[in-house]
Amino acid sequence: MFHWLEKHPFFFAVGVFAAIAFAGLVEIVPNFAQQSRPVIGTTPYSTLELAGRQVYIKNSCNACHSQLIRPFKSETDRYGHYSLSGEYAYDRPFLWGSKRTGPDLHRVGNYRTTDWHENHMKDPAAIVPGSIMPKYTWLYKNVTDIDTAFAEQLTDAQFFAVPYNKPVPMKDGSTKIVKLGKSVAEANAMALAEAKIVAKDMKDQDIKDAIASGKIPEIVALIAYLNSLK
Amino acid sequence: MNKLYLWGIIITAAMLGFTYLSVGTSKGGLNGDIVNTLAVTGAVVLVIITVFVVIKYVRQMQTDTADGELAEESWDNIGEYKNPVPFGWAVMFLGTMIWGMWYWVLGYPVNAYSQIGEYNEDVATHDAKFNAQYASITGDRLVEMGESVFLAECKVCHGLAADGIDGQAANLNVRIQDKSVKYVVEHGSNNHILGSEMPMPDRNGLFNANTGALISDSEIDEVAKFVSGGFKDEKSAGAKVFAGVCSSCHGMDGRGMEYVAPNIREFTPTLVTNVLNHGKKGAIGTMPAFDRLNAKQKEAVGAYITSLSK
Repeated sequence: MFHWLEKHPFFFAVGVFAAIAFAGLVEIVPNFAQQSRPVIGTTPYSTLELAGRQVYIKNSCNACHSQLIRPFKSETDRYGHYSLSGEYAYDRPFLWGSKRTGPDLHRVGNYRTTDWHENHMKDPAAIVPGSIMPKYTWLYKNVTDIDTAFAEQLTDAQFFAVPYNKPVPMKDGSTKIVKLGKSVAEANAMALAEAKIVAKDMKDQDIKDAIASGKIPEIVALIAYLNSLK
Repeated sequence: MNKLYLWGIIITAAMLGFTYLSVGTSKGGLNGDIVNTLAVTGAVVLVIITVFVVIKYVRQMQTDTADGELAEESWDNIGEYKNPVPFGWAVMFLGTMIWGMWYWVLGYPVNAYSQIGEYNEDVATHDAKFNAQYASITGDRLVEMGESVFLAECKVCHGLAADGIDGQAANLNVRIQDKSVKYVVEHGSNNHILGSEMPMPDRNGLFNANTGALISDSEIDEVAKFVSGGFKDEKSAGAKVFAGVCSSCHGMDGRGMEYVAPNIREFTPTLVTNVLNHGKKGAIGTMPAFDRLNAKQKEAVGAYITSLSK
């Protein structure tokens, strides 16, 4: 039976092609499905949000807080829709976390606000009775490193094809463009403009003063990042 | 005697000797434990079989000559015997290929376990149970449910006692606080509290019908005191300002008018539901929307909050 194939190289080649093509079909084609693409409405992080993400990582928030809502009723009741793989498209690295000492934060932007975060990060136990989360007072003093966030954005755009300056589809059918600064100075200016919007909802006078003088405290970047988690 | 057999015996003896040295003298020894004995017996059998099989094939290599029918084709003068694949093997091989195609295209994708499917069933079961048990509750049971939802979702900002934790969120034990009244009169408001857009003008759009002028700073203070005080002192200056400025929309008693202005005298379940649906922004801060509560839970929270200020 197979000896015949050995004598007819053309048909042998056809057989090999069919086998490899089928393997390619089942391995490659599913990657083009919508489920494998970034979820509609997921946008790349702005400079300030990415800086906030770095603050989040720097303070090891992910050691206690996961960013992965599992498809169980008890979780979706509390945190909202279960997480989809395409929502992590622009997370590098993802911050799924493996242990919940605190609650999940994957959609915290839906149910907490700027002023809540501002009060909470100063003294968590005063807001949530019995909370064991420590105070993060230094976030109100440290100045955010926008330059590094901009460097990360450039890397994302150049090497990982993250769609900065390109229209990204949104849930309502429109598109949104997340701008990437052309220079460090422009990126800093854009981050400051965004920080002003966040700080408008904050009460701490020191924060407002710092923003007015052109500095962005880490708490502002962190809140911008947390608000973007939806 | 063939040299090969001699080597076979030497190697067997050496391996058996090595096996004895490594286990025979150790604690437990060969007889102390049935498992040891079995293992060593197995090792001995393996050694003997291996040596004799090797001897068989080495002898075959030494004496065998080629036979069989040569195939017609020759690749660079390298010939090949006709040695077809066993039929049963070939059938299995092709069968596996066909099964593989079915499995990857239909078998797995169609029949695979779906975590999301299980989740959806779970949610449907829970919802059915919820509707059966709670869809028609009213009165105290509704307030009880509202309290449990409040403790799960709302206390994080409004506090266990619903007092707003030192002004960080609204104090829900009163309908509206002094500073909120002032803020709304100053800045206007458009919080979808009626369920749809219905902007209230800021102070530049609020005329006092009694004086015929825009509302003044002192009038704002007076009316704020009257409204936050729960409409008690009907002879106060604030009451007059309210009648002149606010009552045209919010009604003489402050209970609002449908489609025009919300009730600012007391909470109602509908009002709370609208705040939960749309969130709120005002003097104290921003409250996010709580879409993920279901309609009954929102009604229950409304009932609970209404019961607090009574």
